[in-house]
Amino acid sequence: MITLLNLLLTGVATGCAFALVATGFVTIHRVTRVVNFAQGGFAVVAGYITFSALRAGLPHGLSELAAILVAALVGVAVGLVTIGRRGTPALASLIMTIGLGIALYAVEIVVWGDQPVQFEGLPGLVAAGSLTLPRQYLLIIVVTALAFAGLGVFFARTYLGKVFTACASNPFAARLAGVDVTRIGIAAFGLGGALGGLAGVLLIPLRSLTFDSDVDIAINGFAAAIFGGLNRPGAALAGGLILGVAEALVAGYVPGGAAYQKAVSLPLILAILVWQAARRPESE
Amino acid sequence: MSRLRAPSTWLVALLAALSLALPPLLDKGQRTTYVLLTFAVMVTVGLSLLMGFAGQVSLGQAAFYAVGAYTAALLARRGVPPPLALAAAPVAAAAVAAGIGIPVLRLRGHYLAFATLAFQLIVLTLIAQARGLTGGDVGLGHIPQLMPDLNPGQDNELDLNDPLYFCYAGWLAAAAVVAVTLNVVRSRPGRGFRALATSEIGAASAGVAVAADKIRVFAISAAYAGLAGGIYAFFFGFLSPGSFGVLLSIQFLVMATVGGLGLVWGAVAGAIAITALLQAVLLAASIPGLPATAPSILSYAVYGLVLVLVMRFLPEGLLPALAGRLRRAPS
Repeated sequence: MITLLNLLLTGVATGCAFALVATGFVTIHRVTRVVNFAQGGFAVVAGYITFSALRAGLPHGLSELAAILVAALVGVAVGLVTIGRRGTPALASLIMTIGLGIALYAVEIVVWGDQPVQFEGLPGLVAAGSLTLPRQYLLIIVVTALAFAGLGVFFARTYLGKVFTACASNPFAARLAGVDVTRIGIAAFGLGGALGGLAGVLLIPLRSLTFDSDVDIAINGFAAAIFGGLNRPGAALAGGLILGVAEALVAGYVPGGAAYQKAVSLPLILAILVWQAARRPESE
Repeated sequence: MSRLRAPSTWLVALLAALSLALPPLLDKGQRTTYVLLTFAVMVTVGLSLLMGFAGQVSLGQAAFYAVGAYTAALLARRGVPPPLALAAAPVAAAAVAAGIGIPVLRLRGHYLAFATLAFQLIVLTLIAQARGLTGGDVGLGHIPQLMPDLNPGQDNELDLNDPLYFCYAGWLAAAAVVAVTLNVVRSRPGRGFRALATSEIGAASAGVAVAADKIRVFAISAAYAGLAGGIYAFFFGFLSPGSFGVLLSIQFLVMATVGGLGLVWGAVAGAIAITALLQAVLLAASIPGLPATAPSILSYAVYGLVLVLVMRFLPEGLLPALAGRLRRAPS
């Protein structure tokens, strides 16, 4: 029973991490209709910046903040290139995000090399009775809750958030109402970059970091994001939790399951796609 | 989408003659490059068809390449005659593609790109984990030869598995892929595909079965990759999951993008151009004094920049744009 609870807890924590990655996808896709393949790259860049800042003697917190800012700037740059010119077809934008993700590899290898790097997050465990959870996981759960609450308030209650939503629901009408859709789209890329960076600085202490870690990070986040058709943050949270818990249970109960973890989560992604197809064959 | 005039018969004949005359003049390493180029042509023609006509991106073409390669290798190792095993490769790849495509292609938007990326990661993980069947990360060797030697033990013994003959086998397969594709594009279903490329709603209202046609295009593109993979297995006689990474899929994407989406001859030219560019990059990276990471840095930079610059400034493809400029120039 205790193992089950512990597994569920770990699952919820990893699920929160997936959901955090998903928020970046959702924010960008909601506003610009671009599926951003450079999303994992934002997390990787943030991880590398944190690594370097910590090495340069900056304290925790400040390093992470700097990394998130850099990730936001990278996001703005990606946005400028991919949607800066009005009328770029979605297919072209998608291919450009792939290209930028690959070009980012080159920069990362030049600056940080191709060997794995690592940095520490929060050390230690929190225990409640016989339930234990690494402190870093607890931090992830708390930050994810805050991020989702913040996004909810932003989209529903603030003026800028409503402008974002307006661009998402009808770009043409938003333009008639005087909204610079391209600029808002680029701002969405910046916000998406910051969210990707946030996910990166929290997740990467749990694993090692190489320039091509972005695929692993992005794929689970994307799976969570498509749960809500890439547009609804709440559904992305649910998707992340389901995925995280499923992965933890497989790793815990199937003999040798940990080795097959990727082969479990990926078919789940395909299954979610199929389910989405059956449910809403005519929607985006 | 801009349509190019097909190159004249003379140009095609010239290209064919040149490419057929080339292999005997090459050394062993260059012949390997030549064979790999024929594989790239097959895969890229399929991917270009998929992107140009179904408007979908596949980031998993290397996975279908791997499916074809492992299908052919495993069958041949179990005693199936090699040519038959080779024939099974494209069939297996197409069947797998249809399996993924039927659910995913019903969705609008660009879900296929991520689904195929996920699929490729699944395939790589499965190959690496299923050691008993595939040899895992260590690799799969002892793949039988494609053709038996002619006149074994005699003076005029002819080893048909020499790289020279694989150059021609690859050439024939690539030529067949190009010919089939050109015919498909011109046929009635091909006109349906083209309607799909301009407007899905328009195509649907004109009686094109949009979802079914997209799946067909996807299966065709996977079959081409599977065929290339099958020949790959016999050419190298050794397979490992490391040879079919995500970067290979990106390479095919770059080739198709440069050649212009949906243009058969463009895909051929794109595959040739990027192969030549990569050879040049690798040559530049081998200059002494550069760090060991130079080849990967340079090839990532080239892939990334080509994709971004072409899509941003010449979305109809680099080569079609060049050709158009040449034609417009006063002669």
